[in-house]
Amino acid sequence: MSMESSELHDLSDDADYAASQQQGSASMMRCDSEKRSSSSDHDGAELIYLKDNVAIHPTQFASERISGRLKLTKQDSLLFLSWIPYKGQTSNAKLSEKDRSLYTITAVPFTEVRSIRRHTPALGWQYVIVVLSSGLAFPPLYFYNGGVREFLAIVKQHVFLARSAEDANVFIVNDFQSPLQRTLSSLELPSTLPVASGQSIYPLDGGSSSENQGRTSAGVDNRVSSVSRYGLRKQKSHDPARDLSIHLLEKFSLVTKFARETTTQLFSENNGFGSVDKRWNNQPVHSYPEKLSNIAEEKYHESPHSYPVDEHDEEIPNVVDVPADPLEFNKLSLVWGKPRQPPMGSKEFTAFLDYEGRVVESKALRERVFYGGIEHLLRKEVWPFLLGYHAYDSTYAEREYLRSVKQMEYATLKQQWQSISPEQAKRFTKYRERKGLIDKDVVRTDRSFEYYEGDDNLNVNSMRDILLTYSFYNFDLGYCQGMSDYLSPILFVMEDESEAFWCFVALMERLGPNFNRDQNGMHTQLFALSKLVELLDSPLHEYFKQNDCLNYFFCFRWILIQFKREFEYEKTMQLWEVLWTQYLTEHLHLYVCVAILKRYRSKIMGEQMDFDTLLKFINELSGQIDLDSTIRDAEALCICAGENGAASIPPGTPPSLPLDEGILYPQDDDVL
Amino acid sequence: MAGYRVEDDYDYLFKVVLIGDSGVGKSNLLSRFTKNEFNLESKSTIGVEFATRTLAVEGKVIKAQIWDTAGQERYRAITSAYYRGAVGALLVYDVTRRATFENVDRWLKELKNHTEPNIVVMLVGNKSDLRHLLAVPTEDGKSYAEQESLCFMETSALEATNVEDAFAEVLTQIYRITSKKQVEAGEDGNGSVPKGEKIEVKNDVSALKKLGCCSN
Repeated sequence: MSMESSELHDLSDDADYAASQQQGSASMMRCDSEKRSSSSDHDGAELIYLKDNVAIHPTQFASERISGRLKLTKQDSLLFLSWIPYKGQTSNAKLSEKDRSLYTITAVPFTEVRSIRRHTPALGWQYVIVVLSSGLAFPPLYFYNGGVREFLAIVKQHVFLARSAEDANVFIVNDFQSPLQRTLSSLELPSTLPVASGQSIYPLDGGSSSENQGRTSAGVDNRVSSVSRYGLRKQKSHDPARDLSIHLLEKFSLVTKFARETTTQLFSENNGFGSVDKRWNNQPVHSYPEKLSNIAEEKYHESPHSYPVDEHDEEIPNVVDVPADPLEFNKLSLVWGKPRQPPMGSKEFTAFLDYEGRVVESKALRERVFYGGIEHLLRKEVWPFLLGYHAYDSTYAEREYLRSVKQMEYATLKQQWQSISPEQAKRFTKYRERKGLIDKDVVRTDRSFEYYEGDDNLNVNSMRDILLTYSFYNFDLGYCQGMSDYLSPILFVMEDESEAFWCFVALMERLGPNFNRDQNGMHTQLFALSKLVELLDSPLHEYFKQNDCLNYFFCFRWILIQFKREFEYEKTMQLWEVLWTQYLTEHLHLYVCVAILKRYRSKIMGEQMDFDTLLKFINELSGQIDLDSTIRDAEALCICAGENGAASIPPGTPPSLPLDEGILYPQDDDVL
Repeated sequence: MAGYRVEDDYDYLFKVVLIGDSGVGKSNLLSRFTKNEFNLESKSTIGVEFATRTLAVEGKVIKAQIWDTAGQERYRAITSAYYRGAVGALLVYDVTRRATFENVDRWLKELKNHTEPNIVVMLVGNKSDLRHLLAVPTEDGKSYAEQESLCFMETSALEATNVEDAFAEVLTQIYRITSKKQVEAGEDGNGSVPKGEKIEVKNDVSALKKLGCCSN
């Protein structure tokens, strides 16, 4: 075949891969050829279909895609699907070799595929999502050159493919006549698990034959015996709830994470890669079956109270239980979230600047801050960039000039209220009200923090002056409770009234809508949050729905002042600079909300918290939340949610800039 | 505190809201009553909080759930949801700031808009310890309360003056209305409010008026 040689090239890293398999999970391997290269190398494997430029988007940004080759091969009358990323060739140099390999799909037999969902939007790229019988799914495969229809047509020639009655874009593989059979098959097809952990590249033993294609078998795969040694599955009779769960999982393609995670774990055992991203090395490695039983155990111990929909599953390891976390959150962040780095220091920052002081690559800088934050003394220099007060491409001289111009402008603005005489004030209710509110609030903002401590504290006076000046600068918005919470760390960092004022102004450009009179900015964010929870934890969403908690008012304080009251002062500054990088998304704060809620999901649902109890519980979490792991979890969730996550957040949701300014997303992220 | 489960032993659960302008001392009244704490530098309230305390009223165990809301008008749109189910309210002003007393009218309207018409309301003039700064004479508060059929009390969360009494008074009034209603309902053959249930006060103008309000 003409493509043989190029395939060999594509898979030239497979020696490492095979080695890792041998090393890390030898006990699970029954594959007789350890030096695997490609399916076509295997005796009798026949290449059925090959498609180049099929990509995976590991992040929400299409610019970070990983391109590869999609193949269908046939062996012993079984059809296999594989997707191998191109080596050393990606649109984004930052994606490590490991990142790319992470997604590799190695010959999955179609006996283990439950359905293929196709997306062929008028605008944008066509893609398919392959869902396995277990409910696991692979990340969307984008057909950059089109051809989804052709792909499905070819699949159809080899396996039984039926269009779903509920959704015309879903093609069910191995469809069975009755739901009972379907359920049984999805439960008993044990081979999905080895596949998910990347093991069943080939049939595990000689037992697989054409009847495993599914349509003829009564739903019980004859490979059960070969896999039962993993102690995975107990026989289980038909359970409609479970069937529904499978459907739910399938619905949210992102539950794909299972597939990704297990693939990841396979690679985390791999010592073959030289320049391995550190995050993979320190992670505990579980084999998939072990993990499954862990979930069940944890669930059992964590929540003595029974779940609403869960009556009988304590013993049965199951990934599709309704109340179980579809993302298996505890492990999620280990896989996706990078460990935090030490904060960026002065030397490191200088390396980002050219000789005139421009930030050469703003995205790299933002990435660095995202993963480690900033040393305190350096914040004064970096925050103005993050907040948008300074342009990344400004020079030292330009910034110095801006500083002096803005200083004068600030003085002029401040003069406006300073010149109000007592007689004028008497006739100026709005001013008196605002001043009264500000006076009240500044003396109760962070007063136990050293910088604002004590009577007649000059910094407290500066805070009042800035807020009053702001209420004149933005008279429409005025002063709102919560603003002093935002200003306090900014003034502490900038140590200069005018600079702090302009940084605060820049922040309010994005977060001002939080304080809108109609509360629209808050409602939009709470709505987006509910959508994200629906996407990332549908059982929790259902729970909130049933308990009349969908307004998410219990997260109001979190969002209004971006967790200022939830963490101690230094931690708040760390969180804010991470949020302000807008590195992965403008809305990381919403993923932070999801991360915290998921952290406590079993408590919330296990204790059957109603709205009041939940509100109290959330309020009292203040000071109890670990920041680093929360950021990691949020990062993991954001990556995992990918485009579906981004699509859950309506355009213009704060802190996105308002829609009418025409900037919905950071320019860096534009798709070319 | 008994965790987050609502199973502790009590006869009635009453929800009471604290309302009034920003900085009049709502949060400190709450912490004084529920935790016997006072903090001069307590932060402004963002969103909504609540705390509970259980106390005995006329031989019954009452669990009081006291809700505290942000004072700024801007947040009322979102906090209004929290009025749901309230059977009592403490409408607080600051005796040293006349403007906070002048706003009482608006708060009362707001309350009437979001709650049952006959919830027990007490007007509370807080910060009575700052006698030298008094800007609202006791008589003003009292006569306004009479005119609007509200209970009235001057308190000092700082000195813990009348705080206990103010809450106890409101809770007692609520209890009396509740039990009276139960008796009436019993006579009508409708049964009584189940033990431990949250109750609502409906159409009890006469009951409230008869009982008289309050400990002037």
